[in-house]
Amino acid sequence: MAKILIPTPLRQFTAKQDSVVVPGSTVGEVLAALTAEYPELRRQIFNPEGKLRSFVNVYLNDEDIRYIGKDAAPAADSDTLSLVPSIAGGTRH
Amino acid sequence: MIRIAPEPWAAMVAHARASYPNECCGAMLGSAGDGARNVQQAIALPNAFAGAQAARYELRPEDLLAADKAARDLQMDLLGIYHSHPDCDAYFSATDLANSCPWYSFVVLSIQNGEFHHANSFLPNFDQTEAPKEELIY
Repeated sequence: MAKILIPTPLRQFTAKQDSVVVPGSTVGEVLAALTAEYPELRRQIFNPEGKLRSFVNVYLNDEDIRYIGKDAAPAADSDTLSLVPSIAGGTRH
Repeated sequence: MIRIAPEPWAAMVAHARASYPNECCGAMLGSAGDGARNVQQAIALPNAFAGAQAARYELRPEDLLAADKAARDLQMDLLGIYHSHPDCDAYFSATDLANSCPWYSFVVLSIQNGEFHHANSFLPNFDQTEAPKEELIY
C-alpha cells in the first residue's frame, strides 16, 4: 500500500483526486494497481509495450526508482510515489 | 489558453534577461479551469544542462518534484514549464519536442540582444511529434 501523488493534468483520470492510495508491496505492484483502478492513466504513464514512457520518472519519496531497484523497490504504507516528467530542450537541434 | 498574471510574467522575463546569453528554465504554478490555465506564480529553476547553456536547458526531475510540492503547499497546481531562447525566435525546436511532456504548457520566451522580444506557448503531444501553439495572454 502506498500513496501516489497525481500531477494536475492527470487528475481528470482519478476522479479529480490529487493523490490516491493503492495496494502493493513493490513499486511495480503499486503502479500496476494504480493503472488497474484508473485504466485511463495507463496510456499516460506506459507506452504500448508496457514500459514507462520516456518522459516519466517515478520517485519513491525523494529517490528515483532507477537507483533503488526500479519496479522491485519495496513500497511501504508510509511511502509516497511521485510521477515526475523528464524535461529539457533548447534551440540547438 | 494560458494566462500569466503580471507578477509571474515579470519574474519570468527578468529571469530570462538575467540568464542571457544562456537559456533559463522554470515552473509556472496557478490554477486551471474553464479551459484556461491561470499562472499566479513562477519559480525559477536551475538550468542543469552540463554543456554550453546558450542553446540548451535541462530540468532536474528533483527540482520539478520540489516545484510540484511547492504548488501543493500553496494550494496551487503545476501548470507548465517556461524556458528562454536567446537571440532566437520563440518556436518549439526539435530538441524541445524530443524532450517534452504532454502534461504541461511550454512557454518559450525569445530574448534578443538581452531584451525580451516575444513569447509563445505550446502543447506537445504524447508521441513528441508535434506541439501546436496555444493562446498565450500576458
